[in-house]
Amino acid sequence: MIHETLPSPPTYYEEVERKGYSRREFMAFVTTMAAFMGLENSAIGQVVHALETKSRVPVIWLHFQECTCCSESFIRSSHPIVADILLDKISLDYTETLMAASGVQAEEAMKHTMEKYRGEYILCVEGSVPTGADGVYCMIGGKTSLQILEEAAAGAKAVIAWGSCASNGCVQAARPNPTNATPIHKLLKGIPLIKVPGCPPIGEVMAGVIVHLVTFGKIPELDRLGRPKAFYSKRVHDSCYRRAYYDAGLFVESFDDENAKKGYCLYKVGCKGPSTYNACGVMRWNGGTSFPIQAGHGCIGCSEENFWDNGRFYERASAFAGFGIEANADTLGKAALAATGVGIAAHAIATNVRKHKLIAGKVQEGKISEKEFES
Amino acid sequence: MLRRVYVWELPVRFYHWLNALVMVALVATGFYIADPLALQSQREATGKFTMGWIRYIHFAAAYLFFFNFLARIYWGFVGNKFANWKQFIPVSGTFFKEMWTVIKMDVLMMKNREHMSIGHNALAGFTYFLTFILFLIQCLTGFGLYAAMSDWWFPQLFAWVPALFGGDILTRQIHHWAMWFFILFVVIHIYLVFYHDYIEGRGEISSMGGGWKFIEEEAFEKEHTHTPNPE
Amino acid sequence: MSTRIVVDPITRIEGHLRIEADIENGKIKDAFSSGTMVRLLEEILKGRDPKDAWAFVGRVCGVCTSVHSLTSVRAVEDALDIVVPPNAEMVRNIMFCTQYMHDHVVHFYHLHAMDWVDVVNALKADPKKTSELAQSISHWPKSSPGYFSDIQTRIKKFVESGQLGIFANGYWGHPAYKLPPEVNLIGLAHYLEALEWQKEIVKIHAIFGGKNPHPNYLVGGMACAIGIDDVSGINAERLALVGQLLQDAKEFVEQVYVPDLMAIASFYKDWGAIGGGLGNYLVYGDLPTNGFRDMASFKFPAGAILNKDLGNIQEVDLRKDEEVQEFVTNSWYEYREGKTVGLHPWKGESKVNYNGPKPPFEHLDTAKEYSYLKTPRWNGHAMEVGPLARVLVGYARGREDFKAVVDKALTDLKVPVTALFSTLGRTAARGLESVLIAQWGLEFFDQLISNIKNGDTRMAEMSKFDPATWPAQALGVGYSEAPRGALAHWINIEDQKIANYQLVVPTTWNASPRDGKGQLSAYESALLNTPVADEKQPLEILRTVHSFDPCMACSVH
Ligand code: HEM
Ligand code: HEM
Ligand code: NFV
Ligand code: SF4
Ligand code: SF4
Ligand code: F3S
Ligand SMILES: [Mg+2]
Repeated sequence: MIHETLPSPPTYYEEVERKGYSRREFMAFVTTMAAFMGLENSAIGQVVHALETKSRVPVIWLHFQECTCCSESFIRSSHPIVADILLDKISLDYTETLMAASGVQAEEAMKHTMEKYRGEYILCVEGSVPTGADGVYCMIGGKTSLQILEEAAAGAKAVIAWGSCASNGCVQAARPNPTNATPIHKLLKGIPLIKVPGCPPIGEVMAGVIVHLVTFGKIPELDRLGRPKAFYSKRVHDSCYRRAYYDAGLFVESFDDENAKKGYCLYKVGCKGPSTYNACGVMRWNGGTSFPIQAGHGCIGCSEENFWDNGRFYERASAFAGFGIEANADTLGKAALAATGVGIAAHAIATNVRKHKLIAGKVQEGKISEKEFES
Repeated sequence: MLRRVYVWELPVRFYHWLNALVMVALVATGFYIADPLALQSQREATGKFTMGWIRYIHFAAAYLFFFNFLARIYWGFVGNKFANWKQFIPVSGTFFKEMWTVIKMDVLMMKNREHMSIGHNALAGFTYFLTFILFLIQCLTGFGLYAAMSDWWFPQLFAWVPALFGGDILTRQIHHWAMWFFILFVVIHIYLVFYHDYIEGRGEISSMGGGWKFIEEEAFEKEHTHTPNPE
Repeated sequence: MSTRIVVDPITRIEGHLRIEADIENGKIKDAFSSGTMVRLLEEILKGRDPKDAWAFVGRVCGVCTSVHSLTSVRAVEDALDIVVPPNAEMVRNIMFCTQYMHDHVVHFYHLHAMDWVDVVNALKADPKKTSELAQSISHWPKSSPGYFSDIQTRIKKFVESGQLGIFANGYWGHPAYKLPPEVNLIGLAHYLEALEWQKEIVKIHAIFGGKNPHPNYLVGGMACAIGIDDVSGINAERLALVGQLLQDAKEFVEQVYVPDLMAIASFYKDWGAIGGGLGNYLVYGDLPTNGFRDMASFKFPAGAILNKDLGNIQEVDLRKDEEVQEFVTNSWYEYREGKTVGLHPWKGESKVNYNGPKPPFEHLDTAKEYSYLKTPRWNGHAMEVGPLARVLVGYARGREDFKAVVDKALTDLKVPVTALFSTLGRTAARGLESVLIAQWGLEFFDQLISNIKNGDTRMAEMSKFDPATWPAQALGVGYSEAPRGALAHWINIEDQKIANYQLVVPTTWNASPRDGKGQLSAYESALLNTPVADEKQPLEILRTVHSFDPCMACSVH
């Protein structure tokens, strides 16, 4: 194989140089990159240094219970574009979706990276791991996804859980989760893990996380749920351009009504933007073209844990399992209120019956006092 | 013979009515937040702030609610014995015994006898205790959600709450569900206040106004049995 | 004696496919296709709101994203008797055309090309000759010698870096690669170009559905209200962007994709006689121009062909109990009534029951159940679905637009019409229908514009959105022609909830295990007699399997 006979890999800068770019162009690229990642100017030096000194970071990208939409979203990234990521930034040594090799040759490629770059490669995981029935619901090359994950994670420097599947279990983990689909963080302990939820995550967010990792060699700052703060610290609602309508109390009442045409807030037709942490409102999708709300549909909360089970998509309130599609907290509450009313009425009547003597006594007492007062 | 007893000190009464007021405000605005009206307006959205004001009232009331609640807890340690925390938390056998007596009398109506406690009866006290826990849940989930809307350190203290439930969606639903318990509590509570006044004739309703209750002379003789958790 | 070889994972597809094949005298004697991942979404859908189903089934696949969502809203609309406004129909058509073009181009360059294009060999090409060749087959502007030599230098440096990334361990230098270095270089250059292009065309999904992958749909129409005089709705700017993207896409398909396809095909004409397989083709039909109920208005006509008999097209009825049935004889499922019965999807069941070898294992026990795919049959026949089926049915139905593109290709390649029944034919059909689709996309766009111009701005029919208006019970079927072929969802609604939901997916038709009668499905059948020059490097298996564009997440769901 060619790679074994060759000298140590060149750095980014060397590559950029050989491609015929000038130092100035290189610096311009770094500055844009840094601005994109929201870095201070003072950090640019660090980026430059990183790009000048490192070879392409090896990446193993595993595919489990997934729809491959995260890979699809990744290749939609517009900055950096994916061809540049693949050729210049990382060495994507294993991904079933794009790699040339199949079968044993594919497995060998993964093994090679796991051995040669032990402790250095980044492990990306797309999809959840089914732990039901000893893992037979997802098998690759005769092994279960759990076996593969554990082997690959052992030598990884960090793990990225792509999308809601790897981060939260996503659709296959929705009730009743028949295959026991399990998110990655529940299976791996003691290894840095970044959750990049979303179904799928925005392409530029995925690219941004990778760029952060390879340039700084460390994981980005994460929030309490393990997501990069850069992209998940704000609710969709906080950066939604329809927010003024929300605050004004002006809502779309039904799809395609007059208010919909005017772009009013989608809250009443089920928008989950107020409970969803994602960068959609700011970065938008597909190179900044649009995002769900801009195209008239509410946010379905696709980056939130269990968004499949926490309420229907066109309702504000969530339905209760077992009480029919339409029964939500308010239906139950109203029923309980009615029952309370009936209970109170019954109690009041019972009081007058059972405590008749007591009450009569009190009335008598009062009448006597009244008489005494008159006399 | 009835004796005048100063049961509810001013802080308790102040707490009670402020609490009642903000609770009504929180429920009303909470309902509106959950399901706003279909407004029609000729004005530009930027010139209107209906939802904004409703939420503002909710959050302002929420702060009052929370600090009022804290003040009441403080008063549970320094106030008179009717306000003491031991009126709420069952830590003795007599407390449970009294609860059972109250259930027999007021709920099952097995005993046709007057009840004798001066402050809260044990069952009421315990119910308030449960309600206080619910206050806490409502404050935790409420401020947990609010943390995302504020940079102040205080709401940030609650930012861990949504993380506990995996995110805002479930947190918000718990917050919504809990509201119904308050509504049911208030309805039953007001009924019971009237009920006690009606069958006991001790000025229960007005007691939260002036602080006075009118207690039978013989109650003082057996006083120790009427303090659920005697010191 | 035959030897059993295993290719697992099959890469450059969606999902988890395993092929086991018996090789005898350099040819495949028997083949077994196994889907090794299951999620059981049909079970997860039970009890949910039918209006939400599109979002769940949308996640069946992110590669053919949006097609399941479309099929789902059609199923619910069928059950509840909802007719969507013409604008919504056009928007859905445009999104569907977008999906086709994206999926086909990505398949050709990123999933299939490396079976035919030797990347390493491209380094030997002469950029000047490459440029001349490129200019002789297309008007695409990016074809100067400098352009190709830049690409070549870039790849050379990449290869020299020693980190070959996604190109590592490919079958480079395999004797079955036949292209001259210059064609390899064109293929490689357009691999990179297509990677950039594909992120552009899907912006159409973002405009109408908010994002791609997984754009939003709506039962009753589309959520993207038309607000010609508002900055928020679909207005002139949004429409102009759609028009521009459709135009660019047409250009790319006509000037890059199809010329490359024809150039590469001309070196692999022998593959016009390999990998034909079943010879039975099934098309449900799609792309309505006059409402979904008027099947005669479909751009893709429906029909079934048996035994390559183009003179006899049969009608298809998805509601008939005996037409479409799914069997589980060789699948890891069980039916209440046992292993031998076939179930129409309205009565379908999805109870999983794995009884294969305990992992880690070397071989599957192919004498019994060996896949998570069920086995669908049409009137008992194994059928191939997909671009080839669509092109054949359109051609056999005598549609002029189909005839024009097919006949031109056959003439250009100097091959007979029978060459279509092959691996090469399958790959070619995908490109040929892309030419039609690129054209239709613009027609739908014009239709949308003229409809709006005439004052119709309706985008959703909401009168039956409230479940209170629904009957206690309703059955529906929604269908479409997904990029990989005929797709349908069957729904049973009871008490406003999903009582049963069954998907029968194109790749389920093609990649399923054999049925109880021993009839092979399309993959297994097409693999028979495929030559395999080197058992350790089964490139030929990849060619035929890839020609179907497998999507396993779809097939099992
Ligand atoms: C008796 C006490 C309270 C009641 C009954 C109540 C009720 C409600 C209800 C019904 C909602 C709407 C939930 C939905 O969307 O379905 C809500 C929202 C909310 N409440 Fe409360 N609440 C109470 C106390 C609090 C407190 C103490 C806070 C603390 C800050 C709070 C903060 C919030 C917040 C942040 C929201 C979300 C508002 C938005 O996102 O616009 N609530 N409340
Ligand atoms: C929103 C409405 C109300 C709420 C949330 C509420 C809540 C409470 C709470 C939490 C307590 C326990 C006080 C303590 O010891 O700290 C209490 C006690 C009391 N409340 Fe209310 N209250 C409400 C309305 C009323 C009304 C309308 C009346 C009567 C006119 C009333 C009369 C009383 C009385 C007499 C007590 C003490 C009786 C006992 O211990 O059982 N409350 N209330
Ligand atoms: N098979 C399949 Fe699909 C398609 N085309 C869908 O129905 O790929 Ni994911
Ligand atoms: S997270 Fe969503 S988009 Fe990503 S693989 Fe899973 S289902 Fe697909
Ligand atoms: S459309 Fe959704 S995210 Fe935007 S303001 Fe309204 S509720 Fe918030
Ligand atoms: S549905 Fe997902 S794509 Fe963004 S707007 Fe909501 S998080
Ligand atoms: Mg199915």
